[in-house]
Amino acid sequence: MNLPRRRWPLVAATAAAALTLAACSGDPIDAPEESPDVEGLAEARSLVSEYPREETVFTSGAQWGPPSSWNPIPQSGEATGVRGLLYEPLFSFDPATLELEPWLAEGGEWTDADTYVLTLRDGLTWQDGEVLDAEDVVFTVELGKVPDVRWSNLWTWLSSATATDATTVTFEFSDPRYQEWDNFLYTSSVLPQHIVSTWAETDYNSNANEDPIGSGAFRYSTHGQDRMVWERNDDWWGTEALGLEFPMKYVVDIVNPSNEVALGLLLQGGLDLSNNFLPGVQTLADSDKLGTYFDEAPYMLSANTAVLVPNATRAPMDDAEFRRAMAFAIDVDKIVANAYGGIVQKAHPTGLLPAYSSLYDEDVVDEHGFEYDTDEAASILAAAGYEDTDGDGFVETPAGEKIELDLIVPAGWTDWMESARVIAEDLQAAGIDVTADFPDSGAVDDARSSGDFDLLINNWAGLSNTPWTYYNYLFHQPVRDLQLVGNFGRAPDAGAWALVEQLSRTASDSPEYAQIMGELQEISLTQMPMIPLWYNGLWAQYNTSTWENWPTDGGDSTAYPSTWGGFWQMGGLRTLAALQPAG
Amino acid sequence: MTVPSPGPATTVADDAPDAGAALDVPDARPGRLPGRRHEALYFALRNPKVVGAAVVILGLALLGLVGPLFADHGPNDYAGPTMQPPSGEFWFGTTMFGQDVWVQFVAGLRSTFLVGVLGSVVAGVIGMTIGFVAGFRGGWVDELLTMLTNVVLVIPGFVVLIVINTYLGVRSVPMQALYIGLFSWPWVARAVRAQTFSLRAREFVDLARLSGVPTRTIIVREVAPNMYSYLFMTFVLLFGGAILTAASLDFIGLGPTNAVSLGLMMNQAVQWSALHLGMWWWFVPPGLGITLLVGALYVMNVGLDEVFNPKLREM
Amino acid sequence: MRTYLARKATLYVLTFLVAVTLNWLIPRLMPGDPVQRMISRAGVQHPESIGPMVEYYEQLFGLDLPVWQQYLNYWGSLLRGDLGVSIWLFPSPVEDVILRAVPYTLGLMLPAILLSWVVGNWMGAAAARRKALDNTVLPASYLLTATPYMWLAILLVWGLGVVAGWFPVAGGYDFGRRPTMSVAFVLDVLHHWFLPFLSLFLVSLGGWAIGMRNLIIYELESDYANYLAALGAPQRLIRRYAFRNGLLPQITGLALQLGTVIGGALVTEVVFAYPGLGYLILQAVQNADYFLLQGALLFVVVGVLVANFVIDLVYVVVDPRTRTGLQGANA
Repeated sequence: MNLPRRRWPLVAATAAAALTLAACSGDPIDAPEESPDVEGLAEARSLVSEYPREETVFTSGAQWGPPSSWNPIPQSGEATGVRGLLYEPLFSFDPATLELEPWLAEGGEWTDADTYVLTLRDGLTWQDGEVLDAEDVVFTVELGKVPDVRWSNLWTWLSSATATDATTVTFEFSDPRYQEWDNFLYTSSVLPQHIVSTWAETDYNSNANEDPIGSGAFRYSTHGQDRMVWERNDDWWGTEALGLEFPMKYVVDIVNPSNEVALGLLLQGGLDLSNNFLPGVQTLADSDKLGTYFDEAPYMLSANTAVLVPNATRAPMDDAEFRRAMAFAIDVDKIVANAYGGIVQKAHPTGLLPAYSSLYDEDVVDEHGFEYDTDEAASILAAAGYEDTDGDGFVETPAGEKIELDLIVPAGWTDWMESARVIAEDLQAAGIDVTADFPDSGAVDDARSSGDFDLLINNWAGLSNTPWTYYNYLFHQPVRDLQLVGNFGRAPDAGAWALVEQLSRTASDSPEYAQIMGELQEISLTQMPMIPLWYNGLWAQYNTSTWENWPTDGGDSTAYPSTWGGFWQMGGLRTLAALQPAG
Repeated sequence: MTVPSPGPATTVADDAPDAGAALDVPDARPGRLPGRRHEALYFALRNPKVVGAAVVILGLALLGLVGPLFADHGPNDYAGPTMQPPSGEFWFGTTMFGQDVWVQFVAGLRSTFLVGVLGSVVAGVIGMTIGFVAGFRGGWVDELLTMLTNVVLVIPGFVVLIVINTYLGVRSVPMQALYIGLFSWPWVARAVRAQTFSLRAREFVDLARLSGVPTRTIIVREVAPNMYSYLFMTFVLLFGGAILTAASLDFIGLGPTNAVSLGLMMNQAVQWSALHLGMWWWFVPPGLGITLLVGALYVMNVGLDEVFNPKLREM
Repeated sequence: MRTYLARKATLYVLTFLVAVTLNWLIPRLMPGDPVQRMISRAGVQHPESIGPMVEYYEQLFGLDLPVWQQYLNYWGSLLRGDLGVSIWLFPSPVEDVILRAVPYTLGLMLPAILLSWVVGNWMGAAAARRKALDNTVLPASYLLTATPYMWLAILLVWGLGVVAGWFPVAGGYDFGRRPTMSVAFVLDVLHHWFLPFLSLFLVSLGGWAIGMRNLIIYELESDYANYLAALGAPQRLIRRYAFRNGLLPQITGLALQLGTVIGGALVTEVVFAYPGLGYLILQAVQNADYFLLQGALLFVVVGVLVANFVIDLVYVVVDPRTRTGLQGANA
């Protein structure tokens, strides 16, 4: 394996020089040489000594460690903006309409049940002047033939990708999964064949891809220990083709030291957009010190569903009635009000995000839904044979065994810790002996994937183009030794998995789609493999002193305002493009 | 330097035999007889530093013991409206979730005392045993124990504590105290070894040895009494040190998970942006409580120093 | 003399071996499989893709080998100066990550430790000289020493940063600046550096002052001081001797402190969001980054060992009593 050594960033060295002067340190640290860059570029960069405030947007909330990789292939761990500002997908996705919108692609259609024809736009170029054409798309898709590339799964149901001409690619499927295909179209970035094809096959995930060349609206400018700087690409193809113009010359993403530090910076005007979880932000939004998407509760859009996962391999959580009783026993409103101060929203009983509200089957919810009702919880327990036989105030199993359960959430995740305390109290009030426990987050990871837990909270069911991702998470089969994608409670299949697979193979406009959705909602409510609690927010707060026209409910801009990985193509880019200088 | 050192003592810790004198404790003097201890008590009761510090420490201890009994809700209960400044109803205000800061404070004092007592006992016992044995036996025993001490001293204790806390998980305050104790004994061992060393060389020990008294008896009858004052003050310093270390651990989020402590309060306050939201009542009391307690311990140490070391009294 | 040094050297080599082994062992005792964590962080939706990815990363990090072989490989690459690849900041080499953080830590810690040592000793000596000063310096010193460090830091951030707005509350330099060798940039770095520096300076100041004061007082009580006084030597002279003798243990303390400097001021870096080594260690623990943690701990251990060794050498040179004392230990 060949890991290129990164040159010393200028940042640290200069700071060192400045500081060690005062420190009268014995060994001076050599200032590194700037490595030769693209002709003239280095020179142009060094002319800028600071980023003019009125031409720069400062963001934070996505990056938790120094930028170390600009490689979009692993789809994780890359610097903020790599997938979005720098590399671009074929389509973007609008969560408000649940529609894909053409981006690099001009369009695409299913010419028959097994064939998808994609048309690229004309005149696409990479930032180094090379042409971006159908060959790049085919190269990107075929990269998935390497087993450790993340989208290798694609090739179990795709049989070929052919560039018919410079702007057309024809995909032949052996088993067309329409929902998953759409998901691929907007989540995966098109890679430059002329660069990535020179990498060794073993290097696809580990190449740091320094000085990256993308096709996007921003170029890599520089990075430091604590920031990632993007500079506008004035030759971007999209200015004309998409009619999007970015008013800022620089986007500086700041590495999060912690949420409270981000709040401090945001209030001081050092940040324009913070995608951090900032407790207490409701008071600041109410007094108009900061902007949020909604100007009242829940303030934030919803990004994913937090669920309580019971381990179905252990008694009594293997009993669907017991799981349902727990759903009735938890007062989510109290969590929303106290642990979150109203900046999250209670989950719909189906757990489907508000973005999918058009898919809610209200009849099913009326019949099988749940709401906070301790008495109802107690009577479900009693009806299923759970009674307090030894008089300690807590119910025993029908077989008369004691029930003592641990609810684990990672230590340090304070909002979840608060929530877990409330949940444990509520469950105790309903007669179920549950204690909240806070092991290290690594230990929680281990417990979750190996199935060694009673109850835990998880929120990996995030926003996407299709509720298939949510049901894939909820019902995933088969259960493996290590569960890493979903069904952490290891519930056996109760007929839902075939429906999930079917959902993936059903187009959204097909009449069967709503019917399958209804059946899945019913199974999720009667079987209750996971208990939906609240929607974690798409945390976003704005300081409007330098930039205005941030996305708001009913405002001029309504894009999903997030810089998180995977969210640029779901609204982050449009958020930036809509900004206007303040004043 | 990862944590503030446990009192001034750690600034000096070395195996040079006379380094013990650098501790702000008196050189143990030969010829101090048991009868003199009454004299020490007499002076202690008349030393304003000792008495004042004792009043503060006992007062805080009493608050920690009795305070929670008078609270009509638990420290983590949502007792009232959120983010309230101090008022007649909530003396120290409420947290972001509506918990009563006063109740958390008194409950936190309890944990703080517990950590101090347990942590200092564990560290004291280990450190003194190793120091005594190493200093008195000398030779390869000394060599071995010194190496052990050095290894523990060299391993960055605070970092190891972080790792251990993460690995084993700290559920309770006693666990935390145990871990802290296990890593804060080396300086005690070094200092005690040095003291023992110098005492062993004094004439009265030699005399005892010449007259055929067994080693153990020499330690118990001759060496240890000469170090009582020294040991007592070591405990006082360890007590304060354990409290500060625990507060640091709590603060970076590695404290006991199912407890309330003053360090955890500060951790929570900072994590929930109390600084930027202007909720000073959330982070000022816990820090002030620790400062008062540890400060009183150190002042007591000075006072005791004067009591045990008559020449200082004249200063 | 030579045997003394040889014995010391053996001791240090042994300590080093044990410490490095512990360094290797400790991260492996932590819960959480780093590869698993990397993959779950990637949010892979298809279990089919997970198998090959796990295999790939385990091979990459050498975690698929038997444990004893991992241990031998660790020593092998350590001797080549290769500390491995960070998991958290994949694929950065660990030594790069650490070296980038070191300047911030050194720039913060060295001035704070040295200045507080100088000022603290000076204050302590002054306090030992005058009763009036003693009555103010001593309580203030005890107050500073008793203050939990993070509280002092919080109060500084709150008072001077948030409320007064005089100092920035986070970062190594302004996020709107490019690091250049300009006056403006250096001033900006100093502006960000001041609060963390001040907090570290203040918190260790008290300890030095108390130490020096007590040392001088003990020295003044010693036989030679009484003897000099009896001979009618001027008080100034006696005090100067006392100060010099008192300085010796203080130098030891300073050297020990400097040895730990590399470990960084973890709490400081957390409160002030200062991008140094201590913050890195905490992140490495929280992200189950074996290699980064190993590397950072190694830096710390080597720092402390070197400092201890230097003290030993200095003592042999400066204080002849050491030599006799150590021989006494073997008697």
